[in-house]
Amino acid sequence: MISPSVSTGQLRAVVVLRLRLLVNSLRSVRHRLNLVSRALGALLVLGAGVGGGFALAMVAWEITKSGKLEWLAIIFWALFFFWQLFPIMASAFNENLDASGLLRFPLSYGTYFLVRLLYGALDIATALGLSWSLGILIGIISADVRLSLWAALSIALFTMFNVLLGRAIFVWIEHWLSTRRSREIMGVVFFLVVIGFQLVGPLLGRYGDHTSRLRVHVPAILLWVQQKLPPGLTSAALAGASQQRYAGAALSLMLVGAFSAAAFWLLHLRLRDQYRGENVSEGEKRRTRIATSAVNRGWGLPGIRGPLAAIYEKEIRYFSRSGPLLFTLIMPLVVVLVVWGGRRGILTHQAGFALPVGAAYCLLLLTNIVYNSFGADGGGIQFFLTSPVSFRKVAGAKNLAQLTVLTLDIFILWVGIRVVYQPPGFAVIALTFAWYLFAVPLNLAVGNLLSVYSPKRIDYATFGRQRPAESTIILSLLVQMGSIGVGALCIFISRLYSNLWIATLTLLGLAVPALAGYFILLSRLDRIVMQRREVLATELCKA
Amino acid sequence: MDAIVTTGLTRRFGDFTAVEEVNLSVAPGQFYGFLGPNGAGKSTTIKMLTGLLAPTAGSMQILGLDLSTHLVEVKRQIGVVPEGMALFGRLTGSEFLNFAGRMYGLDRDTAAHRTAELLDFMELSAQPKTLVTDYSHGMQKKLAMAAAVIHGPKVLFLDEPFEGVDAVASGTLKAMLQRMIARGVTIFLTSHVLEIVERLCSHVGIINKGRLVAQGSLDELRSGVTAGSAIAHEGKMTLEEFFLQTVGGPRNATQELSWLG
Repeated sequence: MISPSVSTGQLRAVVVLRLRLLVNSLRSVRHRLNLVSRALGALLVLGAGVGGGFALAMVAWEITKSGKLEWLAIIFWALFFFWQLFPIMASAFNENLDASGLLRFPLSYGTYFLVRLLYGALDIATALGLSWSLGILIGIISADVRLSLWAALSIALFTMFNVLLGRAIFVWIEHWLSTRRSREIMGVVFFLVVIGFQLVGPLLGRYGDHTSRLRVHVPAILLWVQQKLPPGLTSAALAGASQQRYAGAALSLMLVGAFSAAAFWLLHLRLRDQYRGENVSEGEKRRTRIATSAVNRGWGLPGIRGPLAAIYEKEIRYFSRSGPLLFTLIMPLVVVLVVWGGRRGILTHQAGFALPVGAAYCLLLLTNIVYNSFGADGGGIQFFLTSPVSFRKVAGAKNLAQLTVLTLDIFILWVGIRVVYQPPGFAVIALTFAWYLFAVPLNLAVGNLLSVYSPKRIDYATFGRQRPAESTIILSLLVQMGSIGVGALCIFISRLYSNLWIATLTLLGLAVPALAGYFILLSRLDRIVMQRREVLATELCKA
Repeated sequence: MDAIVTTGLTRRFGDFTAVEEVNLSVAPGQFYGFLGPNGAGKSTTIKMLTGLLAPTAGSMQILGLDLSTHLVEVKRQIGVVPEGMALFGRLTGSEFLNFAGRMYGLDRDTAAHRTAELLDFMELSAQPKTLVTDYSHGMQKKLAMAAAVIHGPKVLFLDEPFEGVDAVASGTLKAMLQRMIARGVTIFLTSHVLEIVERLCSHVGIINKGRLVAQGSLDELRSGVTAGSAIAHEGKMTLEEFFLQTVGGPRNATQELSWLG
């Protein structure tokens, strides 16, 4: 039986629970540091909310003053896309309580629905969406006070639609991602969509001349479609009200209401099933086929033996089963194509520097892996801690596997550059290699240290929520910006003297202390791990 | 020379003392059950004995080697199934066992051979391509146990090995443990299930509120006279009776929760 009644006492208990979780998380220094990072993030959000709200208020004021309120559709569409896509693209920002766990308590359906709706909506997208909507409202009312009621009603309905649709999308995605296999499939689909979007611009730039017929028809179709959807309908309602065509305006608003009801219904369908005790099994269907016990021997690698080879093999197997890693392998190529952008591309006249720029990007892509190298091991960290293998070897083998991925990345990048531009010259290759000799040991050394000091459990099977700890992010960004900055400065100086080899030699000189630092740190890693083993085991064994 | 010896083993977390002045001694070949109520300090003790946690004070010796100075040598000779099972979820069962064998220094052929044997013995070979993360809880326990014994350890540490394991899997694990005991391996097992300890173990230690309150053979415990404990009782007790008398029986719940009806 589903009861729609709402218990305020239970809602209050959920709010208190969330506050307690936050307060309790401040018991360790690491979490306090993370809170500082989050506070900085919140300041940015506040700035974006106020700044964006002000900008949108100005735009809305200008449009309303000009009397062409249909143009408001542009900002409504921008707002709509941000509201719906940002939470999906940046799911890492949300580490919300799993509210479905509350079902063990005697919650009425109404309370459960409200908790999922309101609690889940407390995210960056909603905060910014609300601020910006308020900005638009203020802009419209300032320009034409007679539209106050219509503007308030339209924007309230539009906001409600966005909140409901956003939550509906989120719970449906959550449902589809509830098993590992579907998470992986969705990850790949998401990845292909992202790449697809990025390639649209360059391909249009490249083949723009052949699409003249499409250029005529597509905008007309899009215009017609957008008028039938909530952002277009909201602007139509406001335009109708400003021209005193109240029946049309009311009809548009009713349609926005109908879309909101549809989003509500979608959300209700999912939450109702959850409330009724839907059980999504994580395990696969057990196969009944009889298998042999034949076991492949582990990898034998030239120059790498015993535990080192075993860890290297384990790491490569982990990488090969990782959706996000596929991302790092293909992205350099995508970026080459995107930056190239046909004849109007950014790098067309600076093609010589495509390799070092791409190489720096490849290193950036490996941030999550290098700076949180034990994150994917989860409970397996206890195996490392109880095994007779030193952490010097464990970290060394992991770094070796990371270098393999980086090398593969660079190779793909090199092929891409060779095909799109021209083969990079020897001086550029030497420069890139010299920068790598400096930047890679530096990043690996700091990465190993942060992997031990600030570990965070991650799952290679999923795309979302795969960030290292906030403190790690800030420090890794500093190191990467520093290493890229040093490289850029060396190139700048060498170009002043019209001799690229100056940069190469300088970077080779810097590589010596970087390499020495890496090996010194590696030799001391066991001692550091012994001091930090409790944190490692506790953080990585968390469910 | 005892297989496991601790002297004054203590572990504090801030103001809280989880393990206090624990003096254990486990002879080679003993099946030692380490009992205690929830939060008594069982897991903390086993974590210290296996190098997962540093003690605040005291010393530990495994097979005559001091843990503070010979940690790696000790690790080579022990097998561990910790609380979290220490598995790598994104490997298949055979990949994980192969990896574990090589981490303990086995050559590739031996690791592959023992992996195949263990998978068959544990009845885990039916799903060779299934990732460990997709195993059931019981299968994961069996796999963790297999990884802990692949190198033929002389001392085996098991933290709640039968928790969440069904009767069939439990039978497989018990058979393997008894076979190891017959071959002279020392097993140190923590559990809060008294029946399992009574059926499997020859010796028992009981920890309560961080202190070792009793230690001895099962017969000694049942007769009520053990190191650190002397309980007056006519005839022989069951382990449960001894345990409840040692750590304190349940409080009268109905007096405190009269509203339960």
